[in-house]
Amino acid sequence: MISCDLFRVRYPSSTDEPAVLEHLRACDACLAAVATEDPDALFRAIGGQELLPPGGVDAFVGDVMREVRLRSTENSMERRPASWSRRLAIAATLAIGLIGGAVVYQLERTQAPAPAGITPVAAARPALTTLAAVETYHSETATIIEVPAEGVGDVRVVMVFDETLPVDL
Amino acid sequence: MTKRIALIALLAFSLSGAAALADQAAPAAAEKTLSVFTYQFKHRQAEKAAAAIKALVSAEGTVAIQPSSNSLVITDRTENLKDIAAALHRFDAAPQPVQLSVRLVTAARVAEGGRVPDALKDVAPKLAMLRYNSFDSLGAVNISGREGEPGIIELGERYRANFRFGEYDSASDSIPLVDFKLSRLQDDQLRELYKTTLNLKLGQTLIFGATRDPESQRALVVIVSAKR
Repeated sequence: MISCDLFRVRYPSSTDEPAVLEHLRACDACLAAVATEDPDALFRAIGGQELLPPGGVDAFVGDVMREVRLRSTENSMERRPASWSRRLAIAATLAIGLIGGAVVYQLERTQAPAPAGITPVAAARPALTTLAAVETYHSETATIIEVPAEGVGDVRVVMVFDETLPVDL
Repeated sequence: MTKRIALIALLAFSLSGAAALADQAAPAAAEKTLSVFTYQFKHRQAEKAAAAIKALVSAEGTVAIQPSSNSLVITDRTENLKDIAAALHRFDAAPQPVQLSVRLVTAARVAEGGRVPDALKDVAPKLAMLRYNSFDSLGAVNISGREGEPGIIELGERYRANFRFGEYDSASDSIPLVDFKLSRLQDDQLRELYKTTLNLKLGQTLIFGATRDPESQRALVVIVSAKR
C-alpha cells in the first residue's frame, strides 16, 4: 500500500487509481482529510460510484465521519496502564485509610464504657452502707419502728411494741 | 515525586499497621493472664470474706471457698488480685477492741411534773418525739471487749444484759451486739424480757425503746453506743 504522503500527492489527479483507492479504504486519516473536500471519495474508495445512499451522499458521509470521530475519541480515551509507582501509591493510601479507621475504631472501643456484664473494679468498691438498727428480735409479732434520722451520724431511735412484754416495765 | 509519595505512604502504612497490631496484642495478652491466689484466714471466716470481696472480683474471676482450711482460692487478673489481696488482709484483722456504753432508762408519759435528769438531757428531745417526757435512769455501764467476745452487764439492781460482740462490718462501719438479752430480776428469779441483735454504727448513739403497745404510758429504753 502506498504511503500517506504519496497518497496526498497522487490523490487529486488520480482519484480512481487502484493504489490510491486501496489507501483510501485502509487509512482513516486520509479518508477523513479527503472526505471534507470531496464527499464522493468514500464511494470511490469502496467502489460504489454508481450507488446513491439514502439521504444523499453528503448525509452518508457525515454519518461516516461522525463514526470515525467517535472511534477516534474512544481510542484516545482508552485507559493507559498505570505505572508501578502510581499503583503503589494508591494501594498505600487505601491501606493507610483502612488501618487509620481500624485504629480509631479500636481506640473508641477501648474508651467506651464496659458492658453491663463486666463490673469495673474501681467502680465496684463497696460504698458505706447503712444496716437496719435491729437485725433480729425474738418475738415475731412485735412491731418495730425506726424514727427517721435527721442526718448522717444523728442519734437513731427505734421503738418496739411487743405484746409479750410485761405491763410493769 | 510520585515514587517519593509512594515510599512515604508505604512507611506510614507499615508504622501504623505495627502500632495497631501492638495495641491489639497488648490488651489481649493482659486479659488472658489470670492468676490464682490462695488466702488462709487466721481470724475471720472465709465464707464471710468471700461475700465481702465479691464486688472486687472481675467478670473473668472466680472465688472458691475451702471450709476445711478456712481459705479462699481466687482466680483473677493479676492487677485485680493485688486489690483483692489487700482487701483480704484488711478483712482478716485480729479481733478489735470495742468500747460499749449502755444506759437503761424508764420513759413515761406524764401530764405534769416530768423529770429529765442531767445525764439524759442528750436523748430527751429524741424520746419527746414519742411523747415521753419523764425519765428515770436505772443504770449505766461502760464496758470494754473485743469482737467475738461475750459480755455481761448489770444495770442497776434488777436488770442484766447478756450479749456477744459481733464482727466489725467495714461496709457499714458498724458492729453488731449479737443476742442482746435483757433480763429482770423478779421474785428472786431472772426473767428474760427480750432478745435482739442490734447493729451499732461506731460513734453513733442508738436509742432502743420497748413497750407493750403504742398507747402504753411507760417504756423501757436502752441507750447504747460503741466506739473503738
